Amino acid sequence: MATDKPITNPEFPGTDSAETASANAGTPTVESAQGKAVVASDLRPPKKSARHYLGLTGSYLLLTSLSVVILFPIYMLILRAVSSPLAYISAGQPLHPVDIQWDVFKVAFVDANLGRAMGLSFVVTMIIVTAQLVTATLAAYAFAFLEFPFKNVFFGLIVGTLLLPIEVTLIANVETIRRIGMLNSVQGLTLPFLATAVGIFLIRQGFLGIPSEIRDASNLDGYGHFRFMFKVALPMSKPIVGSFIVISFLGAWNQYVWPRFATDRQKWQTVQVALKTIGSENPERLNLSFAAAIVAALPLLVLLIFFQRQIVRGLTAGAVKG
Amino acid sequence: MSDIPTTSTEATAGSPDAPAMPVPLGKGVRRFGRRLSDSALAYLLLLPSLIVFGVFAYYPLYRLFWYATHHQSRFRNRPATYVGFSQIRDTLTGTDFKDGLLHSGLFMVYTVPLGLILGILLAVSAHRRLKGIKIFQTIFSSTVASSVAVASVVFLTLVNAEIGYFRDVSWLSLKNPTSALFAVSLSAVWQNLGLTFIVVLAALQTVPDELIEAATLDGYGAIRRFFKITVPTISPALLFLAIVLVVFALQAYAQIEILTGGGPSGGTETLLFKIADPSGVRSLGEKASLSLGLFVLTAVVAGAQFGIMSKRVHYGD
Amino acid sequence: MGAVTFDEVTKKFGDVVAVDRFSVRIEDGEFMVLLGPSGCGKSTALRMIAGLEEVSGGILSIGERVVNNVAARDRDIAMVFQSYALYPHMTVAKNIESPLAANRKVRLPAAERATRVAEAAEILGLTDYLGRKPGELSGGQRQRVALARAIVRRPEVFLMDEPLSNLDAKLRTQTRLELVDLHRRLGTTFVYVTHDQVEAMTMADRIVVINEGRIQQVGAPQAVYESPANLFVATFIGSPPMNLISGKVSASAGGSVEVTTDAGTVTSTCSASLSKGADVVVGIRPEHLSLSETTSSGKGLRAKVENIELLGHERHVICSAAGSKIVFRQANDAAPVALGQEVTLDAEPDGTHLFDPTSTQRLN
Ligand SMILES: Nc1ncnc2c1ncn2[C@@H]1O[C@H](COP(=O)(O)OP(=O)(O)OP(=O)(O)O)[C@@H](O)[C@H]1O
Ligand SMILES: [Mg+2]
Repeated sequence: MATDKPITNPEFPGTDSAETASANAGTPTVESAQGKAVVASDLRPPKKSARHYLGLTGSYLLLTSLSVVILFPIYMLILRAVSSPLAYISAGQPLHPVDIQWDVFKVAFVDANLGRAMGLSFVVTMIIVTAQLVTATLAAYAFAFLEFPFKNVFFGLIVGTLLLPIEVTLIANVETIRRIGMLNSVQGLTLPFLATAVGIFLIRQGFLGIPSEIRDASNLDGYGHFRFMFKVALPMSKPIVGSFIVISFLGAWNQYVWPRFATDRQKWQTVQVALKTIGSENPERLNLSFAAAIVAALPLLVLLIFFQRQIVRGLTAGAVKG
Repeated sequence: MSDIPTTSTEATAGSPDAPAMPVPLGKGVRRFGRRLSDSALAYLLLLPSLIVFGVFAYYPLYRLFWYATHHQSRFRNRPATYVGFSQIRDTLTGTDFKDGLLHSGLFMVYTVPLGLILGILLAVSAHRRLKGIKIFQTIFSSTVASSVAVASVVFLTLVNAEIGYFRDVSWLSLKNPTSALFAVSLSAVWQNLGLTFIVVLAALQTVPDELIEAATLDGYGAIRRFFKITVPTISPALLFLAIVLVVFALQAYAQIEILTGGGPSGGTETLLFKIADPSGVRSLGEKASLSLGLFVLTAVVAGAQFGIMSKRVHYGD
Repeated sequence: MGAVTFDEVTKKFGDVVAVDRFSVRIEDGEFMVLLGPSGCGKSTALRMIAGLEEVSGGILSIGERVVNNVAARDRDIAMVFQSYALYPHMTVAKNIESPLAANRKVRLPAAERATRVAEAAEILGLTDYLGRKPGELSGGQRQRVALARAIVRRPEVFLMDEPLSNLDAKLRTQTRLELVDLHRRLGTTFVYVTHDQVEAMTMADRIVVINEGRIQQVGAPQAVYESPANLFVATFIGSPPMNLISGKVSASAGGSVEVTTDAGTVTSTCSASLSKGADVVVGIRPEHLSLSETTSSGKGLRAKVENIELLGHERHVICSAAGSKIVFRQANDAAPVALGQEVTLDAEPDGTHLFDPTSTQRLN
């Protein structure tokens, strides 16, 4: 029972009378274990055990070795890009750069096709992202907020396009583009991608998340459909729209198969396609290809750093919510 | 369509059912002061998307049938002749299609399990409260920034027969068809690590702490906790990833063109490589027939996805 | 034995002291409620018992065993989480069986496990739902599965962290009774965390009132209500809360103290003798105030009626008295007062509490 030692610390209010109160209630409440024999090893000194540090070291060791596995290919790419190709090979292809030539990037831009390819990729990507955003928002609005005959049929048609990715329709689409004379043109590079089922689903999902009270309130306020779309629906779906823009950019920038076959002149190669041809004619200029790969990945690296959250949300949108 | 995982589960799981709309009002009543009727507006809003899908998704499907049922000389000036289903039958039972299927299948076998396991390993390692964990998480997701083409060029520095760092490692050699396909697959595994890591980590983060604590109190050790509680809880994300990786494998092209050009002796020609046919050895009719084969495979995968996702029972509340 | 003893137990998260030198003994078979406002450290205290948080200092024992260093799974406790933490991929039966199946060291034969699961399901009325998954249950049913999973292992101590907070009001009242009943039937130690004083008052054998990581008072619900140990407990428990008015001791003799406030004079039963002129805070619960019948005695608190809340079975009359707000309770059939009316309120001496304004401690 109560000892000379106060239950908790006397410098804190409330402790003394706690005892009084419980005594009033007639129940013995507190008991100091002071007298009890306690084996020292029973009491773990907080956060200082050898096991703890061992585990910590293990964690960092694992993380570091995994990082090395992931970064090694990137290191090799940079190494090969800045080393002079012939000198590097005659040095026996070591793990360190040989005869560093920083001007490889300039050469790639100026002498090789890289500058134009990057520019074309930007134009194509911007057109695709903008168009997809517009068409997807419009269609999503119809599915989310409007009732109309054959809604299910139209929705089915849009779901159906998931079975018809560009890989499946490649042959026929190339023929179409060729027939209408758009091989080697910005139109040819962008037209098949101006609308996207995934974008429609994503934005529709965002729209459906808007509480119906808000729709009713805007209705009472006298908002028309378009004002509601731009002033309420889109701003309220900002996170999803942001994620969509980011993954749309990712997809458009990284495309390979379509631009590869919708063009047959080097002039019209996007940067992804140009990677294969830049420097490939001449082994002495192989480093140009590696430098180009670095440059081609840079915009996305920037995107990854600044829009990490949106990328994660965009990439996981399909995985998490069904 | 592109490098992003377009196989959205939204698509298949989402039904066209309308949102909880207010009871449709009578004809004369106006909701949203407007001139157009709702239906007309809806069709107008759908029009741009429908045009694009019509011209570049459904019309090509019709064209594929047309090409596949016509014989076309590789010289375009000759008229095509109708051959019925014989060309489709011959192509889809021929060795070309079977080889493509085999290579695509092997590509899947090499990339899907390995990609998933590595993704889980990365995510589990980085799902901790440690100083500097953000840096590791950024490193692990970094390959998201690389396209298939970039990843392929990266792997040139590793596996190319003359200049690759691992040119003498026999099981990565591009000179032998079997190891070449594996080396090419590795480039895809590496490229997809960022995506798998991000998705698995996000899934791990949604597993409630209390669930793990409850399992601890129940007496599960760390390993059984992982396999009995964590893995089942994140299984929808793993399934999603598996399907995405299968689709990626089915659509593999750039790696092959850049790393091996389909060789050695056609040993890395996947289905899409044969369809795209960069060296132009197949007739349009054959390629269209192969495309129809790919279409069926895509439909099967999508069907499987739909089946699995709609049966998916345990996603919490 | 299922007693739980805290001896100077402390928990720090970095610089944050979440639990500050707790000393309390929870008796075997007792229903103990840890009560306090959000962030006061009650969950942390509970999680230390469970072994989910390491103890930073002091000695924590379950029964006679010091458990500072004992792994969670070896403590023989069961816990019900606020979110229930049911395994979404397992059926109700598997969820309930989980604690029995998980521990390989002391695994029961399958038949015995099945019996126990059936028994636990029976007790909680879950027999019809054993084949379902948690996603297919209502909130209340999930809550009962969580309870079943806890009782199935027949632990020495049950821990519950706000297990009712996800239920609607009606279900909460009903489950409260069921929990008390369950405790009676099992006779095991319950340690129950809540910030809801009604839950604490209705279920607990004893309450530990916590604020800012420190124990404020330990006692039976009625004792804590009737003799709050300090101003925190006085105002935290009771609704509407205790009225507080500051004043000075004007007379102290023979077991009673007279305090003069700006609103008038009150008398308090107080065995201690207080020095004349000392500052005190007077605390009176609304039910210990009544309209004075003799208007001219010079005693009582003068107040003006500002608002009246009708509750059906009683009225709460809200008055202002010399700048303080005073609430008193009136039976429904009492003569009504009017807004703006000047009234004089008598306080029961036994219900008039005195507190030290600086230490906030109770004086009488
Ligand atoms: N893991 C942690 N790391 C750092 N601080 C923590 C941690 N867990 C709790 N705390 C801090 O400890 C204090 C007590 O937290 P605790 O969860 O015990 O509160 P609580 O009484 O259960 O509150 P509530 O009613 O809101 O659940 C809080 O200030 C909280 O911020
Ligand atoms: Mg809590």
